Amino acid sequence: MRIFYNLGWFFKQEKYRYILGVLFLMVSSALSLIPPYVVGVLVDGIRKRSLNPLLLSEWIGFLILIGIIYYFTGYIWRQFIFGTSVLLGQQLRNTLYRHFTKLSPDFYQKHRIGDLMAHATNDINAVQQAAGDGILTLVDSITMGAMVILTMVVMINWKLTIIALLPMPVMALLTMHYGNLLHKRFGVAQEAFSDLNDKVQENVSGVRVVKAFGEEEAQIESFRVASKDVVAKNMAVAKVDALFDPTITLIVAICFFLALIFGSRYVILGTMTLGQLTSFTLYLGQLVWPMLAFGFLFNTVERGSASYDRIQRLLAIQPVIVSKEGASAVTPSGDVCYTIPDFRYPGSPDSVLQAIDFTIHQGETLGIVGKTGAGKTTLLRLLLREFDLQDGRIEIGGTSIDAVTLEALRRAIGYVPQDHILFSATLSENIAFARPEASQEEIERVARLANIHEDILNFPDGYATVVGERGVTLSGGQKQRISIARALLADPEILIFDDSLSAVDARTEVAILQALKKERHNKTTMIAAHRLSAVEHADLILVLADGRIAERGTHDQLLANQGWYAEMYAHQQLESLVSEGGRSNG
Amino acid sequence: MAEPVIENQTHHHVFRRLMGYLKLDKKSLTLAILLLIIATGADVLGPIIMKVFIDGYLTKRYFPTAPLVLLAVAFIAAYGVSALFHYYQMVLFQKVALNIIQKMRVQVFSKVQHLGLTFFDQTPGGSLVSRITNDTEAIKELFVSVLSAFLSSGVTMIGIFAGMFFLDVRMALICLVLMPFILFLMWWYGRLSSAVYRVTRAKLSQLNAKLNESLQGMAIIQAMRQEKRLRDEFGRINEAHKVSRLKNVKLNALMLRSAVYSVYLLGLILILSFFGIQSFAGVVSIGVLYAFVNYLDRFFDPVNQIMQQLTLYQEAMVSAERVFGLLDDKRMAPIQIGQHSPKIHEGKVEFRDVSFSYDGKTDVLKHISFTANPGETVALVGHTGSGKSSIINLLMRFYSIDRGEIVIDGAPLTAFTNEELRRRVGLVLQDSFLFVGDVASNIRLSRSVSEADVREAANFVQADAFIEKLPQQYQEAIGERGATFSSGQRQLLAFARTMTLKPKILVLDEATASVDTETEEAIQLALSKMRQGRTTIAIAHRLSTIQDADQILVLHRGEIVERGNHQTLLEKHGLYYQMYQLQHGADQEKVVHR
Repeated sequence: MRIFYNLGWFFKQEKYRYILGVLFLMVSSALSLIPPYVVGVLVDGIRKRSLNPLLLSEWIGFLILIGIIYYFTGYIWRQFIFGTSVLLGQQLRNTLYRHFTKLSPDFYQKHRIGDLMAHATNDINAVQQAAGDGILTLVDSITMGAMVILTMVVMINWKLTIIALLPMPVMALLTMHYGNLLHKRFGVAQEAFSDLNDKVQENVSGVRVVKAFGEEEAQIESFRVASKDVVAKNMAVAKVDALFDPTITLIVAICFFLALIFGSRYVILGTMTLGQLTSFTLYLGQLVWPMLAFGFLFNTVERGSASYDRIQRLLAIQPVIVSKEGASAVTPSGDVCYTIPDFRYPGSPDSVLQAIDFTIHQGETLGIVGKTGAGKTTLLRLLLREFDLQDGRIEIGGTSIDAVTLEALRRAIGYVPQDHILFSATLSENIAFARPEASQEEIERVARLANIHEDILNFPDGYATVVGERGVTLSGGQKQRISIARALLADPEILIFDDSLSAVDARTEVAILQALKKERHNKTTMIAAHRLSAVEHADLILVLADGRIAERGTHDQLLANQGWYAEMYAHQQLESLVSEGGRSNG
Repeated sequence: MAEPVIENQTHHHVFRRLMGYLKLDKKSLTLAILLLIIATGADVLGPIIMKVFIDGYLTKRYFPTAPLVLLAVAFIAAYGVSALFHYYQMVLFQKVALNIIQKMRVQVFSKVQHLGLTFFDQTPGGSLVSRITNDTEAIKELFVSVLSAFLSSGVTMIGIFAGMFFLDVRMALICLVLMPFILFLMWWYGRLSSAVYRVTRAKLSQLNAKLNESLQGMAIIQAMRQEKRLRDEFGRINEAHKVSRLKNVKLNALMLRSAVYSVYLLGLILILSFFGIQSFAGVVSIGVLYAFVNYLDRFFDPVNQIMQQLTLYQEAMVSAERVFGLLDDKRMAPIQIGQHSPKIHEGKVEFRDVSFSYDGKTDVLKHISFTANPGETVALVGHTGSGKSSIINLLMRFYSIDRGEIVIDGAPLTAFTNEELRRRVGLVLQDSFLFVGDVASNIRLSRSVSEADVREAANFVQADAFIEKLPQQYQEAIGERGATFSSGQRQLLAFARTMTLKPKILVLDEATASVDTETEEAIQLALSKMRQGRTTIAIAHRLSTIQDADQILVLHRGEIVERGNHQTLLEKHGLYYQMYQLQHGADQEKVVHR
């Protein structure tokens, strides 16, 4: 029941809707008690032959009236209670989305997108259900149940009521028990289904390998096994699920039986009329729902509570990276200066960067090379404040990057990430992501700079081609170039390439780098790359090894240095030259 | 007017085909229906027993022990039978339905396994997965809930009417008047809800897509300061979703239980009026009246049940249409043509004037001819989109060709069995795909390869060095797509996988994405070892790796523009030379002066 307390804020916010909803629901329940009563009265009338046409038509008219009122009250409470719960879902979804947009990268490192999606869909649904079905079952099981029992006690016979209702609690307990069992088994069945899903996902992603190795039949066989497992787990669910109806039928039958046996006694004794007995059995039928609702209530509430807690835990996570108080909103500009004695990711004992110390002047290009895992990406991301330094500082134009607002910092930086992420929108919209108001000319200009214009024109709808739609697949290189164009459009003070040229061929790489040089006058560029050719023309090249700057200098200096860089460079060159030379000589 | 008719026809067609699956398990289904009929019969008996009690004994105040005990036993027995048979009936229906869906799933999955790459190129992976699992799951609902609800509701309604006719024919006929109301309500609700429901579903999937995409691209959204814009966009979709959900709520409030209750009241009024009016003229059986009221009460449970399953039914039909669309897809993988089944002994590969187009419009390969003699290496170079991968795709028989011919050891590619082809031609792909499992199972796949052979293959490609450092070595678990392994390690594992085949022909698609240099070296070493004694067709991105190739084909826009070995190509000063210059730009003078 804690969920109702937790959702108190929402009930308060929507109190009029809920008050009206509950009120109409209660009126509705009360109205549904009238027809059985009328049946009883008429049965007695018929039996005693006291019924006349006028009386009959009056009662019939009364029933019609009840029917009309019931229909409208039923409509109104459903609108209020279920409709309002839809509003809760919407509100929670917006809150969660807003929260997601504020959270820092470390959060996204720790959480899988699938899990986050589950929070935003299943959990919100469960909470929404608690606010809709939960309220309905709560009100109905209590008020309707109480009203029916009260009517039976007051209007008919309290002793018979007690006797006939004896089996009812058993039903409530049993259905509640089934509910719990069902929930557990359902979870297991869902898991089996999600395994099946993973299996298919893997098969589809690996289709070329499957085909190249002729693994089709083996895949079908393992799919067959997984799908049989799904059947078995679902049968376990079905075996519990099928218990509900028969249990209810049987227990209600026992109630009826008791009512008839003992009711007949009262009829014989004359303390009850036959009509009252008829009404009584009809009321018994009406008690089934409140009893069931009671069982449902517990399940709905339990699930809603668990889901609400999960959502709250998410919402309680504070973004690690925020603008400092009193931070300047002026876009930083100028030389970029790193002084980092040591950096490690939050919660990790290993240091990723050590003794990083360099300055890159405004308008210059910085190249960062080194093996995978040497710390290149980390070094770049620190400038974006994806993580905060525990030790040391990074300055732009003499101002520490945390002395300006996040907004101002990000305005200064254009970032082309390693993994090219495009959104399902047109290519134009993707390129204009940072500046949705950009004109088509501007978009095409940066597309040319990024060497993607021609490719785009070759797509069926040109710039209006929607990413991710049927038939249009962009190659890795094309995606990279689009994200380059996207970063260029913002014309940032500092442009970061995080191994962003890895999927384009050498010729394109040269073309893009040359265009950048021409275009970005007096603006700083930072390039991390595996391929040395991407950084050859940089003003300063850093060679990272295990998080330290192993070598630094220009291409020529580094070559002269005879270190890793020179070795790597020579390695590529020599390898080819030796074999070529060997052949031409021999 | 023409359109809905067509829609209806396909609707009928889909429905008929779905029902065809019921034949798969006729025995269980018949048994389930039989159990259902018995259970319903017992249900219907209850009120009749009560009627006998009321009219025969209660109103007459006549209470002999033996018949009354018998009646009581009959009453309890009737409900006992009903409960028991209903339970088994429901479980059995579930079993039938789940088995049908399992078979349908295997059918769809098998179909997908035999579809060609043309199909996979044109179908987004996500939607394909969703068809095999989610759509069949929606159809499951049809069989599990809808079918059993419809059947049991139908049988119950018929049973109740049978009971009514047994008790009082005239009153039963009057109750039949309710049927048109009920059917009309169902039909109308079905119509209205399908429209509303479709919109709601579409909005929901938009909402989820937006959320999913935003979560994936959050780094970019934040780096480009678009949080507010995206929040607004999400808010708009959320609002639209809410609006359609509210419509749903409204429709349900108007047409579900409240409306059904109105029809119930109508029935009650009919019964009461009938008996009331009769009572003016003569004696009325209270027991019959009681039984009718009781029947009426039960009659509306199935109605509510059916109404609530209607949206599921619609969803299932939409899903079924998609699943059948997939089952009927014609884009099959190329298969063996003819009965000849030649074998690959030497590994001589010839392309004879091959032209190819994926879409039937633009040719990606034009008049490609070359010969790779047994043991030779033919390297394919060229810019992205020049047709290198297409040559490999054709050689692997991933696509069928209509112009030109590919010949292996003198026999056309189409003549080989799939098995022979897959065993003799080993492919190493750019992105090394790993399956969930362990190291050994990834090397072995489903083939019966001994432990020793797995180790030998790993050893051969020098993957053993890193495998043996793993805590579980060959039994080390591999998670989703081998995320815990570096891309270089993944490549070495893929090499080992290919080498267990000991193929005659090796097809290589060199990785573009750069690996760190040390791993790169191991990979190059492994590659050159693998190539020894095998005909190799290799795509190379770094020209340095293919300088010892016997033949280098330079491709440009689907044509072979230059061919020769490294040395002769350099001397030509053509495209190859240019590419080479570009890759080794800084040292071009040295190259020239040598």
